Amino acid sequence: MAADMRLPTIRKTVSLTVSSHDRKDLVVPGDVITSDTGFMRGHGTYVDDDKLTASVAGEVQRVDKLICVRPLKTRYNGEVGDVVVGRITEVQQKRWKVETNSRLDSVLLLSSVNLPGGELRRRSAEDELTMREYLQEGDLISAEVQSVFSDGALSLHTRSLKYGKLGQGVLVQLSPSLIKRQKTHFHNLPCGASVILGNNGFVWLYPTPGQQEEEAGGFYTSLEPVSLSDREVISRLRNCLLALAAHKVLLYDTSVLYCYESSLQHQVKDILKPEVMEEIVMLTQQKLLEQEG
Amino acid sequence: MLKSKTFVKKTRSGGVMKIVREHYLRDDIWCGSEACTECKHESTVLQKDACIESNLCSYPHYLVPDTNVVLHQIDILEDPVIRNVIILQTVLQEVRHRSAPIYKRLKDIIHEKEKHVYTFTNEHHKETFIEREPGESANDRNDRAIRVAAKWYSQHLKASEAEADGLKVVLLTNDQGNKQKAEESGLLVYKCEEYIKSLIANPELVDRLALSNDEKNEITSSKVLFPEHLPLSRIQAGIKSGTFLQGTLRASRDNYLEATVFVQREQDDGTEVLIQGLQNLNRAVHQDVVAVQLLPRNQWVAPSSVVLQDEGPAKDDGVEDEDEENVLKTSAAESARKLTGKVVGIIKRNWRPFCGMLNVSHIKESTRHLFTPADRRIPRIRIETRQASSLVGQRIMVAIDGWPKDSRYPNGHFVRSLGGAGEKDTEQEVLLLEHDVPHQAFSQAVLSFLPKMPWSITPEDMVKREDLRSLTVCSVDPPGCTDIDDALHCRELENGNLEVGVHIADVSHFIRSGNALDKEAANRGTTVYLCGKRIDMVPELLSSNLCSLRSNVDRLAFSCIWEMNHKAEILKTRFTKSVINSKASLTYAEAQMRIDDTNNNDDITVSLRGLNKLAKILKRQRIAKGALTLSSLEVRFHMDSETHDPIDLQTKELMETNSMVEEFMLLANISVAQKIHDEFPECALLRKHPAPPPSNYDILLKAAKSKDVEIHTDSAKALADSLDVAKVDGFPYFNTLLRILATRCMMQAVYFCSGMDSDFHHYGLASPIYTHFTSPIRRYADIIVHRLLAVAIGADSTYADLTDKHKQSALCNNLNYRHKMSQYAQRASVAFHTQLFFKSRGVLNEEGFVLFVRKNAIIVLIPKFGLEGTVFFDSKDKAAPNIAFDEEGPTLKVEHHTFHIFDKVKVTISLDDSNIQHQKIRMALTEPVIAGVSVAIPDAEPQAKKPKLDR
Amino acid sequence: MAGLELLSDQGYRLDGRKATELRKVQARMGVFAQADGSAYLEQGNTKALAVVYGPHEMRGSRSRTLHDRAVINCQYSMATFSTAERKRRPHGDRKSTEMSLHLKQTFEAAVMTQLYPRSQIDIYVKILQSDGGNYSVCVNAATLAVIDAGIPMRDYVCACTVGFVDETPLADLCFAEESGGVSSLALALLPRGGQIALLQMDARLHQDHLETLIEAAMTACKGVSKVLDEVVRQHLQERSVLSGE
Repeated sequence: MAADMRLPTIRKTVSLTVSSHDRKDLVVPGDVITSDTGFMRGHGTYVDDDKLTASVAGEVQRVDKLICVRPLKTRYNGEVGDVVVGRITEVQQKRWKVETNSRLDSVLLLSSVNLPGGELRRRSAEDELTMREYLQEGDLISAEVQSVFSDGALSLHTRSLKYGKLGQGVLVQLSPSLIKRQKTHFHNLPCGASVILGNNGFVWLYPTPGQQEEEAGGFYTSLEPVSLSDREVISRLRNCLLALAAHKVLLYDTSVLYCYESSLQHQVKDILKPEVMEEIVMLTQQKLLEQEG
Repeated sequence: MLKSKTFVKKTRSGGVMKIVREHYLRDDIWCGSEACTECKHESTVLQKDACIESNLCSYPHYLVPDTNVVLHQIDILEDPVIRNVIILQTVLQEVRHRSAPIYKRLKDIIHEKEKHVYTFTNEHHKETFIEREPGESANDRNDRAIRVAAKWYSQHLKASEAEADGLKVVLLTNDQGNKQKAEESGLLVYKCEEYIKSLIANPELVDRLALSNDEKNEITSSKVLFPEHLPLSRIQAGIKSGTFLQGTLRASRDNYLEATVFVQREQDDGTEVLIQGLQNLNRAVHQDVVAVQLLPRNQWVAPSSVVLQDEGPAKDDGVEDEDEENVLKTSAAESARKLTGKVVGIIKRNWRPFCGMLNVSHIKESTRHLFTPADRRIPRIRIETRQASSLVGQRIMVAIDGWPKDSRYPNGHFVRSLGGAGEKDTEQEVLLLEHDVPHQAFSQAVLSFLPKMPWSITPEDMVKREDLRSLTVCSVDPPGCTDIDDALHCRELENGNLEVGVHIADVSHFIRSGNALDKEAANRGTTVYLCGKRIDMVPELLSSNLCSLRSNVDRLAFSCIWEMNHKAEILKTRFTKSVINSKASLTYAEAQMRIDDTNNNDDITVSLRGLNKLAKILKRQRIAKGALTLSSLEVRFHMDSETHDPIDLQTKELMETNSMVEEFMLLANISVAQKIHDEFPECALLRKHPAPPPSNYDILLKAAKSKDVEIHTDSAKALADSLDVAKVDGFPYFNTLLRILATRCMMQAVYFCSGMDSDFHHYGLASPIYTHFTSPIRRYADIIVHRLLAVAIGADSTYADLTDKHKQSALCNNLNYRHKMSQYAQRASVAFHTQLFFKSRGVLNEEGFVLFVRKNAIIVLIPKFGLEGTVFFDSKDKAAPNIAFDEEGPTLKVEHHTFHIFDKVKVTISLDDSNIQHQKIRMALTEPVIAGVSVAIPDAEPQAKKPKLDR
Repeated sequence: MAGLELLSDQGYRLDGRKATELRKVQARMGVFAQADGSAYLEQGNTKALAVVYGPHEMRGSRSRTLHDRAVINCQYSMATFSTAERKRRPHGDRKSTEMSLHLKQTFEAAVMTQLYPRSQIDIYVKILQSDGGNYSVCVNAATLAVIDAGIPMRDYVCACTVGFVDETPLADLCFAEESGGVSSLALALLPRGGQIALLQMDARLHQDHLETLIEAAMTACKGVSKVLDEVVRQHLQERSVLSGE
């Protein structure tokens, strides 16, 4: 097996001369944002001696009287209606615990899932005993945020046919801030694979299902082998996602697709090479600009 | 800016370790020259017009000595003529590594402002740092570093020179190779000798040049006289394996061919190894730490009892010394033989500059002369000087440079002249130097910490002080005392009890910890009283004025106040800082007169009577507890007020008031000792007096037995009691003699830190705990005790070193050493003045007592002068009389007369000044008359003067 | 022979620094993609890597959960090759446990844990090369990692060791100085408010000197904070430029 080895190179210093971007208000922990008491304290800030002070390093955002600091990188802060991809970590009484890259594990109540046999079926004690048959530790699911608890934990639901247990595919974990909020986060890409861009930064790549299977509310997983071409497409997509993420390009269907198209001239494994990555991302950005313009 | 230093080091377990250290290179190290305009220094050290007149360098220049020049020619560098020197860090580090004492001296030079010595941190300078090249030895690298730095300097000065001063840098080196390389790189370089000889104004500096290696070859023949010293590594291996022993060499005072090495071993208390003969001594000098190899048992010898001095003209190195040594070869009884060994290597030299006199070579033109140190334990030293004729009859100081194996004498060089021998000032100087008494004038730095005059008590001073100015305080001291550190008061309280106060000068108020004044005082440790001269521990302003509790002025004091009942039982003890106003400064005699004068009833006298009464009770109590009253004769010289020559001599008289003051001082010391030990169990500075081992008493017991007196030495109390009852009819002086003997049996009292010892007992005073509190003006220990006590009562704040028991302990060691040395110096001073006294008196005839009996002599005490002297029965020029020594008695039978201890004899006293360095009092027996031994009673001529002496 | 001369008369230390000068500090944030936050920091020859995970659900025993704030879990370790002598360093030896505890205390004072009830923040620090001041370097590296993770803190926590030689406080001791018998003090400071997060000293020192020593430590910490601040701002700028518009 041939391995590609390289010598360490000097890290590319990003030129900071583009001062047009500098209008952004960047703060570090401990920086006083304002000593005016007329403002409201938002996330990433605290009040010390009547002064509004930043507690994280990031960009100051003002909405009317509310000031918050958005850190560059953070764990996922869920909002109601977000689509998330998560992994079951624990099966408890009447609920599952789901790891969603949030600061606390999210909760999926037994009552918030569609069980086989109709929506309005009563949950019986038997269901509680067979919870593990539906979802067990390590399973991946897609879900929607139903509500947020006071401590910040999320309550999820899969009360729609698009949600539920995920079958064969690839999970890519990225920063939540890179996912662009859109109407839908489920996309069947024309290249022959589907993607769920979870708001929590978890992206699920899977072969586009033949037809929407109605039954089972998503608890059935197909174990049929996936064709090589599909797998190649999925791998390429994965590397494209990583490339985009490395260059902090917002992820949504178009960007992913453009990136995919730009990468076609390279082999899948080459995409992650820095120079290739750069080239592909440049192309993508160009296409996006054209499209916008 | 950053460079990392990597080197490999072997670990203890034998592994190899790579050590990486950071090494920052800086661009903010300045050249330190006044002439330089480039560097942004805050203060400059080197002068612009750095002129030393020299034939070689007629322009202003800075000197850059290399390591070897510093190590060998430190005496030259110390000279005030040599100024504007650049000491490179490389040199400084190497010196530090190689020799601690020279490092210390070098640092002193650097600190001296007038010398203009600048330390250039070349190792951290961006442009002068160099890395060791592969294959380059560490020494070569350092030499190169020195050259690079010198080069940098010369270029730097050239570049920055706007006006053409022509400042240059001169590298001094003794290394031929180094010199050559420096010349190649265009540096001005001279050998140290070359340079010094070129100095126009100061030819005498040449004498101070230490002899360097290549010169040594000239003076000494190629013949090897001594075995080679072993390298340190082999010595260490030998010590580890036990084949060699390590110890300090102590040369014999009487025999220059003999020395002992005291070896400290783990398994026993230590043994003494005898070293005999020049070969075996192998160039070891008194006080050197040496490695010794034991000789096989059949070569062991007994210490000879012969007195041998290395005298006469310089022996040629080639001449065999057998003749000298043959003298030693007396066959000794097997039992008398001792462990004998030979020196195989020197672990540490302990050379210091020695005082002494020059023996001028017989060859007039010769520049090499022998120098005889005043200390007989030091061998004669060969020095080279051109001013021998002017040094004759002078006391001079000489330092040893080395002792090559092919030279009979060590080589040294002249340091400085102290003055004419026999002159009082010179002799005093010698005495102080030989006893290591710091006696220079106080430096400006020290004096800067003195309070500004006119001084007065400020309200801040009063905050933590009690105002005791209204009390009737008075001081009682010997006549002529100007440093009054104690004062007393006593008054009746309303409840009928007595209040007694001891007020001690508050020296610690003026001497704050850590400043130069404090450091100087700590180093001096004690005031040294010589005859007619006082070497102060603290500057005079303090000792005789601000701290001295003089009468009718307000003075700060530290008071210890007791409430006592009339039986002298302490009811309450209190310490406080205070302000007092002494009402009278009395002498012992004046105080005694007031007490005795029943008509006098003023406050002071009443107070004194009260004190006296209590003191008597206290003394009784103390003696009942077993305190010893010992005796030693102290003499006082009456000095001529103009010439300061002694004109009369008298033993000190003791009065009741003496013991009155003493009693309260003891009480204060004990009270304070308890208090500070309670407060600081780990770091109180105390004083102890260990009980002597029983064997010390042998001589006392034997002596007493000869007069049928029984002495018990089981405890201090038994001893005190038996001394009290020891009396012989018709011999009133017997008791005093006995007490003098008992004093000789005692151990030395020492300071110690309570955290480092468990035995606190003071044997002589029969007190479980004791310290010194009452004389802070003249003893540093008291200052520390004052500080401790001040902290204990919350009157002052503590500081770090005060509570560090290791530092405290180190301080104690210094104090004990200074104390001992000051006593020796004091004794030597008395001896010298006694000599002066007898010089003017001619030959006297006096009555005395036999104090000790020795193998070939008796030691006689003359009570009248407090003088002790030896009467020898065998002298070189006369045939020895029949002598029989009985160790049991001990008695000595000379011809038909038997001498016992305490025998009354008559002797003549005269000054023997045949040896100007070692003048001594010679005594000769006149009564009893023994044929061939005793001498005739001298003419009555000196008697004529005598009436003046009798008092 | 006396030991090393830690401070020359000219005021230079063994490595050529002056008494108050810090060693060269170099740092980089975000060195791992996997972790929530990470940083690498060099302070002279002492090099440390810090990684932060969390806040996340409590792992392991749930009993440690705090209902009003997050639990900070610290782990300190030294690489086998970090010292001159190679040494296997099993986990949980006394020294590293103590160090972990100190780190935990330090960060509990700075991180706004009350924002994350019932969760856990993991801080892992590894010394890659040790040349004195391990604690301070760990704290400084971990601060950067925490900031990188976007976890709210009141302020930076900056730490520095200071030693006391010849009545002079020396900032940021290197190994040779630490082992030279200096009584040293480690101080972690929130520089803006001047609050002390942790102060540790196990040598004997006289009370009189303590104040000057702390004063010197605070000054040194503020110096460190300036450097860290620069690193963070640089990082921030880079990232925000990268993320474009």
